[in-house]
This record gives sequence, C-alpha cells and structure tokens, in this order.
Amino acid sequence: MYVKVRVDEKKCVGCKLCIFACPDPNVLTYTENKKVSADENRCKGCGLCVSSCPKGALIIS
Amino acid sequence: MSNRIITPVAEFEDLLPDDYKDLINNGPFFEKKSIEDLGSFKEIIDDHPHCAGCGVALGIRLVAAALPSPEDTLIVGTPGCSFFGLSQTALNYSTTAFGNQNAVASGLKRMLKIRYPERTKDVVVVVGDGGIADIGLDLTLHSWFRGEKISTIMVDNEVYGNTGGQESGMSRQGKVLNMAPNGKLFPKLPIFDMAKISGCVYAARVTVASPAKVGMTVRKAIFLAREVGPTYVQIYTPCPTNLKFPPNQTLNIAKEAEKDYYSYEELMTPEAKDYLENNLK
Repeated sequence: MYVKVRVDEKKCVGCKLCIFACPDPNVLTYTENKKVSADENRCKGCGLCVSSCPKGALIIS
Repeated sequence: MSNRIITPVAEFEDLLPDDYKDLINNGPFFEKKSIEDLGSFKEIIDDHPHCAGCGVALGIRLVAAALPSPEDTLIVGTPGCSFFGLSQTALNYSTTAFGNQNAVASGLKRMLKIRYPERTKDVVVVVGDGGIADIGLDLTLHSWFRGEKISTIMVDNEVYGNTGGQESGMSRQGKVLNMAPNGKLFPKLPIFDMAKISGCVYAARVTVASPAKVGMTVRKAIFLAREVGPTYVQIYTPCPTNLKFPPNQTLNIAKEAEKDYYSYEELMTPEAKDYLENNLK
C-alpha cells in the first residue's frame, strides 16, 4: 500500500512549518503564490508534515 | 566549488541527467540561502534511502540548509545512517573509515589552507553518535585538544540504526533495544560536557524540533571554526525504526526530550563571544 501526502490549497496559509518538518528534501516546495505544493512521487508517507500543520491542510492517503 | 566548475559546457549539456540541470538552475550555490528559504531551492541531487520519518535525515537537511557558504564547504562523514543522506547532497563530501573523521578533517583543513590561501574553506564533520562517542572518541577528543579549526556536528539518534539497533554510548540508561534486550546498563556519555573542557570554543545542544535554533547554532559554529578554534554542535534526531514509535511522532518525541533531558544549551569561551559580537552581522 502506498501512502502519499496531498495539500488542500484552500486551507494552506503558507506558514512553511511542514517544509521544516519534512525529512525528505524537495517533496514540499514553496510556490510563487505563497502556498505549499507536494511532489507525490518523492513522498514516503511518514506523516510528520500532517502532525506539524496547524490548519489541517495536509492529508496522508 | 565555483559557478564555472559545475556549469557544463554546451556540447555535453544534453547528456546530463535532469536532476543535475535542476541543481545548476535551482541549487543553493552563488546566492545567500538560509534555513528560512527552505522549500524554494533544490538541496539534493537524488532521493536518499532513509526510513520514513527519520530524524537523522531531517537533521542533515537542516544542517545543509544552514551552511553559510555551501560552495566553499567540505563535509566529512563516516559510515552509519548519517552518510546515506550526506553522500547525495549537492556538497563536496568525503567519507572515511569508521571513526577517523576528525583526523581526516584535520589533514584536509591544513591542506586546503595551503592550496587556497586566499579563500576561506570550511571543513565540517557531520557524523552520528557511533562515530563520535564510541569508535571515534579518541580521534575526536585529540582533534579538540590540538585546537584544529574544524566544526564537529553530531546527529545523535541514540542507537546504531543501520546495523539493526545495537546500544551505543549515547543511548539512555535502561533503554531496551533490538539487540540490547536487558536494557542499557550505564548512563548516556556526557560528550557535551567533555567538549567544554577539551578545548572547544563553542558547544551547543539542540533538537530537530526547533529548526531556527539548529540553523543559528550551526552558523555560529562554522563562523567560529574559521578563526577561533574547534566547535561542537549536538543535534537530537530520534529514530522511529529502532526506538519503536510511529514515524509521524518524531518531532513530538524530540519536543518531549527537549523538556526532559535534552534542553537547549550553549557554551562559549569569552574570546569566542568577543569574535561573534565583532564579526557576525
């Protein structure tokens, strides 16, 4: 079973706490419209970003 | 590393992998990047093989982002979990036999000073707790006694991770591990206190749960190692695979440890304090 992270762009406020929590580089990137976007191919599905997000904008599924 | 060295000539540009081209266009070189800019630049050539939720990988990522001049930095590592991540960062990297890292770094620092007298080259040792506290303890302590100008950074996961969970000198007393079923019998080694009395001009103890502090201490350690003397930073990076907790709890475990026994601490000699006040902006 593969688990990947998804970002809800409506809830994301661009605080970047998930970027500081992710152990894998280049998975979560900060885009030009001040939101976070996820590269699902590199994600290992640990869930650290989900536990660090204060707005609940990230889902592991 | 200079812009000229890593930029490919036009004839060979088609042959290089996309990852490498990305690194030239979006890498951390040639512009001032700090830990606050994480996520806006490419930091690594390829994926690293660490476990999901690995604290060591997070620690290495934060250290690599905090380097003040990545193009003039040489990282020295030793076998263990720490070198899986390091060997794939976009930095000059040298691996050594287990435990020899500080001796090799001393020689490299002296050689780089002769080869590039007009440039400042930083030599940074990034190793796990086995490399510093157990097998390489004598060479590490002697490099501090000699006053070699290198910074030593320990990513402390309190276990030998990639060989299956043996107890290390930095494991906590009573901790039951895969290959220590009766629990560890003696207390955690006080390497942080030893750094203070062994000649380090700067020593700091942080956890991965506070990335801003990791960035600040690593920058201070590297600046002081350029002019004043040896420096030491100890980062707590919990291991979900061998310490047996869910991978999404790494930061919570680190936060609990910060309250309990791994509190933020910083030791500086008076001359290091003077140097920082006069030179660090």
